[in-house]
Amino acid sequence: MSDNDLNVNKKSGWQRINIFKFNSITPSLIIVFIIMCAIFGGINHQFLSFVNFKTIISGLSIYGMMAAGLSFVVLTGNFDVSIGSIVGICSIVMAMMFNIKGVNIPIPVIILIGIVLGAFVGALNGFLVTVVGINSVITTLGTLAILRGISLLLANKPALINNKFYVSMGRGFIAKAVPYSFVYLVVIFIVAYLLLRFTKFGRNVYQVGSNANAARLAGIPVKRTQFFAFVVAGISCGISAFLMTSQAAFAQGEFGTGFEFTILTIVVLGGISLAGGRGTLIGVAVGLLIINSISNGLTMIDIPVFWREAFNGIILIAAILIDSIRVKRRELLKA
Amino acid sequence: MDGKSLRKSSFKLTDTLILFIALIVLVVIFSAIRVEFFSYDNISTMLKNMVITGILALGLTPLMIARGLDISFGASISFTGVLMAYLYNLGFGLPYCLILGVVAAVLVGFINGLLIEKFDLIPIILTLGMMSILSALGLVISEGHSLSMLTDQLYYFATKTFLKIPIALFILIVFIIIFWFILTFTKVGRTIYIIGANPKVATLSGIKVQKVRILLYTFMGLVAGVASIVMVAMTGVGNPLAGAKMSLPVLSAVVLGGISLAGGAGSVWGTIIGVLIVSVIFNGLSVINVPSYFIQVFQGLALILIVSLYEVRNQRAARR
Repeated sequence: MSDNDLNVNKKSGWQRINIFKFNSITPSLIIVFIIMCAIFGGINHQFLSFVNFKTIISGLSIYGMMAAGLSFVVLTGNFDVSIGSIVGICSIVMAMMFNIKGVNIPIPVIILIGIVLGAFVGALNGFLVTVVGINSVITTLGTLAILRGISLLLANKPALINNKFYVSMGRGFIAKAVPYSFVYLVVIFIVAYLLLRFTKFGRNVYQVGSNANAARLAGIPVKRTQFFAFVVAGISCGISAFLMTSQAAFAQGEFGTGFEFTILTIVVLGGISLAGGRGTLIGVAVGLLIINSISNGLTMIDIPVFWREAFNGIILIAAILIDSIRVKRRELLKA
Repeated sequence: MDGKSLRKSSFKLTDTLILFIALIVLVVIFSAIRVEFFSYDNISTMLKNMVITGILALGLTPLMIARGLDISFGASISFTGVLMAYLYNLGFGLPYCLILGVVAAVLVGFINGLLIEKFDLIPIILTLGMMSILSALGLVISEGHSLSMLTDQLYYFATKTFLKIPIALFILIVFIIIFWFILTFTKVGRTIYIIGANPKVATLSGIKVQKVRILLYTFMGLVAGVASIVMVAMTGVGNPLAGAKMSLPVLSAVVLGGISLAGGAGSVWGTIIGVLIVSVIFNGLSVINVPSYFIQVFQGLALILIVSLYEVRNQRAARR
């Protein structure tokens, strides 16, 4: 349908100067990615080595899972800036359960509790946004502070995890090449993709995001869909927290600080429109690869850490500018 | 439509009154728990700390009435402070440092406004990006640590009092008068309210909505620059992390003062009472020795609670 839309006004100025000819942003992202790899590889040959490739792959998972979860929220036209803090509190709670004296909680139970906690916090966000009706950014800005404060109160010193099996779940490799964490990531992306593409919930997510009013008139439960999008984001944070604690073998109150920013950049760069209802997880996957390779590449070519942070901000602004231009172009073509 | 707006204005008066009563109750409670709360030293410290929050909240007031939003002000303060201290350590004269710093902050505000309005971006997301760039730039310039900037003039400004009132407080008072005057008595002020009430109608009636908003963002930059000077004067350093925790209290204060995120509503006096209440709460909590992490939790709770209350009431009013 959208492809047809694009072909209506073939002679308009927008169409000719536009480099993103496809409705999907993914092909252009892949080109950007290849150019970027060429540049980094040209400056430092180590960037293209197998070892570094492994580093990039193992670094993807935590951000990737959260990006997949946040995509649901952004697709419904909301935001969640509390995701970093959700990871923080889930991590602390999971690590603390390893340290209860005299009690040996089985690992699956601990992981489950962590994920349920994430889902619960997501549900709280969802409740405040859909039932009470507060703007989602303000809500999650509040929960961001609350959860971070609680995590810091709970963990006045790092909580160590002395469980070899638990730690190996995050750090292990299959055949010394593919990290377990990457397998989890792929599984989660596939599940999320199927959820969005082939279920009623997934279709509702897109409908609600592209036009909430029309969706309501069509009998789609708008608020319920938005609510469950927040729950999905919370669950993804819980899983990330499991991976993070397992890789670090400890947890502290600052875990996850500032993640929301990187994740938002990944999601927007991946082509999930901030206006809601547009974008796919495939785009997000490429966005994830780009952001991770950039931070890895900038380290490889010895850019100081503070400059790297500034770079992240510039990418976010560039991504939302591109998003805005695409939205405007769509409106132009519709008119 | 007319009836609704009339009802709203009569509501506003009672709102301000309720907030004022809440303020007095809070002061009484904290004084009852700890007598030191009501001492001259504590009150003057509190008022001095209020100056920065107050200036920023005032800058946000017209911007949010016109349905804009800027959350990069905290990072802007850090960046500007570091820039001023850096220039000062390079050997620039004090006035030049201050002017250059403020110019940088104004420029940031202008860029915010230009990008948001020309590209029709969501203000909070763009300013989030700006926030990260600015705080990173502050860290780049200062290489991660505070740069000292101790001068006699700034020290005098920060510590001396006039008629037992801290001099810094006069800046806030001047700002209050300016904003109150602009919003209440000038054409620009009315324009801002019209834009907030309904941007489409404003555009149709010939108001240059984009221009006004860009101006307001630029003004917010100026406000952040001035706040940064106050910050540097009070601490004696350009700290790259100084403004990092500024956004939450300022946003809470503004929202508490009755500014709705949907725009169109709010007043300078509401904002001032909001700032007073937030300052009293946080000062009071630290005076009665509540751990700082808990204060952070409380900040978040306060923000959510305030917005929920307003939201629930609006919904009820809409249902009637």
